[in-house]
Amino acid sequence: MYQDPFSRCHPAVNFCFFLAVIGFGVVVQHPAYAAASLTCGCVYYLLLRGRQGLSFLFGLTGIMLAITLLNPLLNTSGRHILFRLLGRPYTLEALCYGGILAVIFALTFVWFGCYSQVLTSDKFTALFGNLIPAISLLLVMVLRQIPAFTRKAKQISLARGAIGKGTGENQPFRQRLQSGVGILSALTDWALEGSIVTADSMRCRGYGCARRTNFSLYRMTGRDVLLLACIGGLSLVVMLAGGMEASYTPNLYISYISYGFAAYCLLLLIPPVMYLRERILWNRFKFET
Amino acid sequence: MEQIQIRNLSFSYPDSGCDCLKDVSLSIQKGEFVLLCGASGCGKTTLLRHLKSVLTPRGTRSGTVLYCGMPLDQVPPAGQAQAIGFVMQNPDDQIVTDKVWHELAFGLENLGVPRDVIGARVAEMASFFGIQSWYHRETSQLSGGQKQLLNLASIMAMQPEILILDEPTGQLDPIAAGDFLNTLKKINRELGTTVLITEHRVEEIFPAVDRVLVMEAGRLIVDDSPRDAGRILMEKGHPIRDMLPAPMRIFCESAGEGQVPLTVREGRSWLDAFFAGNRPSVTALPPRPFPKGGEAVKLTDVWFRYDRQSPDVLKGLTLSVPQGCLYAVVGSNGGGKSTALRTVCGICRPYRGKVEVLGKELKSYARGRLFEHCLTMLPQDPRNLFVKQSVAGELAEMNGDAEKQKKVAALCEVEHLMDANPYDLSGGEQQRVALAKVLLTDPKVLLLDEPTKGLDCCFKKRFASTLKELTRKRITVIMVSHDIEFCAEYADLAAMFFDGSVIASGTPGRFFGDNSFYTTAANRMSRSFFVNAVTARDVVELLRENRGGQR
Amino acid sequence: MKQSPWLNILFLFVLIPATLFLGRSIPGRWYYLTSTLVIVEIMVPFFVSFERRRPEARELVIVGVMAALAAASRVAFAVMPYLKVITGIIMITGIAFGPQAGFLTGAIAAFASNFFFGQGPWTPWQMFAYGFAGFWAGLVFHGHPSWRKPWVLGLFGFFSILLLVGPMLDSCTVFTVLPKLSLANVLLIYGQGVPVNTIHGLGCGLTLLVLTKPLLQKLSRIQRKYGILEDRQ
Repeated sequence: MYQDPFSRCHPAVNFCFFLAVIGFGVVVQHPAYAAASLTCGCVYYLLLRGRQGLSFLFGLTGIMLAITLLNPLLNTSGRHILFRLLGRPYTLEALCYGGILAVIFALTFVWFGCYSQVLTSDKFTALFGNLIPAISLLLVMVLRQIPAFTRKAKQISLARGAIGKGTGENQPFRQRLQSGVGILSALTDWALEGSIVTADSMRCRGYGCARRTNFSLYRMTGRDVLLLACIGGLSLVVMLAGGMEASYTPNLYISYISYGFAAYCLLLLIPPVMYLRERILWNRFKFET
Repeated sequence: MEQIQIRNLSFSYPDSGCDCLKDVSLSIQKGEFVLLCGASGCGKTTLLRHLKSVLTPRGTRSGTVLYCGMPLDQVPPAGQAQAIGFVMQNPDDQIVTDKVWHELAFGLENLGVPRDVIGARVAEMASFFGIQSWYHRETSQLSGGQKQLLNLASIMAMQPEILILDEPTGQLDPIAAGDFLNTLKKINRELGTTVLITEHRVEEIFPAVDRVLVMEAGRLIVDDSPRDAGRILMEKGHPIRDMLPAPMRIFCESAGEGQVPLTVREGRSWLDAFFAGNRPSVTALPPRPFPKGGEAVKLTDVWFRYDRQSPDVLKGLTLSVPQGCLYAVVGSNGGGKSTALRTVCGICRPYRGKVEVLGKELKSYARGRLFEHCLTMLPQDPRNLFVKQSVAGELAEMNGDAEKQKKVAALCEVEHLMDANPYDLSGGEQQRVALAKVLLTDPKVLLLDEPTKGLDCCFKKRFASTLKELTRKRITVIMVSHDIEFCAEYADLAAMFFDGSVIASGTPGRFFGDNSFYTTAANRMSRSFFVNAVTARDVVELLRENRGGQR
Repeated sequence: MKQSPWLNILFLFVLIPATLFLGRSIPGRWYYLTSTLVIVEIMVPFFVSFERRRPEARELVIVGVMAALAAASRVAFAVMPYLKVITGIIMITGIAFGPQAGFLTGAIAAFASNFFFGQGPWTPWQMFAYGFAGFWAGLVFHGHPSWRKPWVLGLFGFFSILLLVGPMLDSCTVFTVLPKLSLANVLLIYGQGVPVNTIHGLGCGLTLLVLTKPLLQKLSRIQRKYGILEDRQ
């Protein structure tokens, strides 16, 4: 399976990047910053998901529209009254604020969407396995069991169907509840019985004998360190430079952007740029041979 | 050097009166390959669990277990975890983590081995076991065979001195089991790791082991080389003799002379010597009768796929099952056998073709009516049916009629288990409880999905006699199975399933007699002399007739 | 093992007020990040104390199984998708094994299932709300087997969801969507949540009513079985 170059970086790089981007994203209300973040987020999301990502983005635009239009109904302060609805003012400022809230809402979703694609469970445990060894092991166990239990529950329901204990949509509530309880109790027995074996298997392999090391497939390279430094440095510049103040109601005020905006854009563009760089590299390879 | 030494070990569980182990003494040398067998419940597992402190059950115990001359409980836990590897029966539940690479590293992580070392060891093991291609996969997506191989590999990554395996292939299909056992032989041969294994399916492993131990009711009754152990079991008429390799059984039962054959090849050369170049005078047994009767289940040109875009699973499947017969469908994994069963019980709906049950088309049964006094299915895992806290509760869930419950319980031999929790029973007992449960729907057609999986030869025999009892009552039984030996012995009709349809069928004698590879060991051994001998019993019978004719 | 309480004190009385104080200085919607941080900080002591105990294999496995069961339970009730049993199972775990195990089961179940459905700003809130459900049920019923009458449990489940757990889940919406924290707005969001929470509460109450007894039986059976198989000095 293809993974984009940013996803192949050390989990710490991924994590810090998303921490910075989502942190800035939800706090900064400056329209330029928000728009930049949303645009870069969408670009990266599409790079990650391909054509499948489009439907998600289209779905978001609908919600964005709703948030924008609904905000003036909740928030009536502002100078420029567009019209009155049932006596309540519908103001331009509130509409603008609604727009920015919608953008922020959308960008969180988009960046979290990217986060879910990039920071998979094994990266999470690689990152936090040393800090919380027991819980990350617990997480890994649960992640194995959820698909297994789901499959088993389906098997049980099929098996019960084939002895005439199945259920359908058109049966009375009581019967459906009983069937659900039956499946769940069979599943529980099976799962608990299996847990004895799992515990044995863990102790057989020395669980609890010593302090666990945390093995992972990821190791920090020079490039990762460089990227971390970039993310940290750019974030610092963004914070120190200022120029991201904006307020909407009751008065519209948007500050002029500073060099901090350039740093912000550079930060956001790290994954797409890495992607592009790799594309160019491979095209050149193809051309040269 | 003696790696494991057990001296006069006796043990009993807290709430049971009798001893589970009685005065067991044995020793295992470094690098040996030892097979431990015995009927279910003879104490094999309890004995194995005494070889690892963390698994040792609670109870009263006397005697000593020494590891490399040191009492086992004085060997530190980390040392035991590393040196003594233990593989259990169930492939699924032993896996702890969600990724293959993580599972391989799990044991080493526990021991606090540095990361670089783990990386190297894991890489080594993945190469030795051929795991690279699925190294990054999720453990929940692996097949049973792969899972068990992963369990073995993740223990081997800790570089144990001795491997203990408790029925490791019980839940695997024959091909996966063969792969697993071959890997085990390779480990023993190439790495010199000591192996102690319990197994039901000994045909493949018998020729490879150095020593065979046999337990009966908590005692060690045989401790000998495979050939001698086999001969002793046959002479005693011990119930587990049925699991011995077919050549061995044939040899002993027809009182052969010379060295006991272990493999088909040795069996053939013994037969060659037996006939000494002459043609046998009797080459065939009278064929078993072809079962008669109306059609209980009939499938005509059935096509099925799970999704519109997915490939066909059933491709023009046509088969007809006469009433009151035991119909066995054999074939390899992923051929669609289980799907065929699901089609018969209406869970999978074919997009073309006709399915008839008892002369009536499946579609014309009203919702749920199909499963009342008509058709039922025993799932592959009997535990899928258990929802209550006791066997009695399980039976009561199906049918309130106490008289009927009693009758079915007697038929399936579960009367003495009524108060037990289904999960405390052995695999064979669970199978019988599940069978009792499905029989309470009073079916005329019974579908079985891999019913002999994980059963030992004694349970199989009892299961077969229950099935015979059912067919005598004109209940039609259709079973899907990998177990060729079982099908050859007990089925009335057998069919070969391949690539979505049945490609050959007939009475076992003809069907397996015609196959040259996909057939029983007894047939492979005797096929150049006899025509339709498919079971060890057939061969013995023919040999007896020939001998009578010659002398 | 006794644990020193200084960590909890540090978190509750130093770190959280500090976060609130510093968070206040963020311009605009200060509460977005701050509230999430506070929620995470409340959960940290639970996780830390679990880590400190160096849990045994059996403890880990049981919590894991219950969390996975809770997450996978929706499949068993596939014919009734509106019935949410996940909180019920988490609460039963809390009742059986105590508040701490209950909290952990809930939090892990929420976190793990979000790996399948996608992480988002709601993750910490869900972890906290589900964790709280387990904690709360454990706190009330763990030491009191005689209180566990089916109808008491049913009512307990219903009202706990309606009044506590449901609003906690809604708080995520309050802090992440609302343009301004005003009483009217907040009440509007919580008010909107009432129908959903009622259905959720009914599901949870029903689960507790029907499933508590059989599941507790199963759990105590398995604990007995562990006891027999283990030889602990």
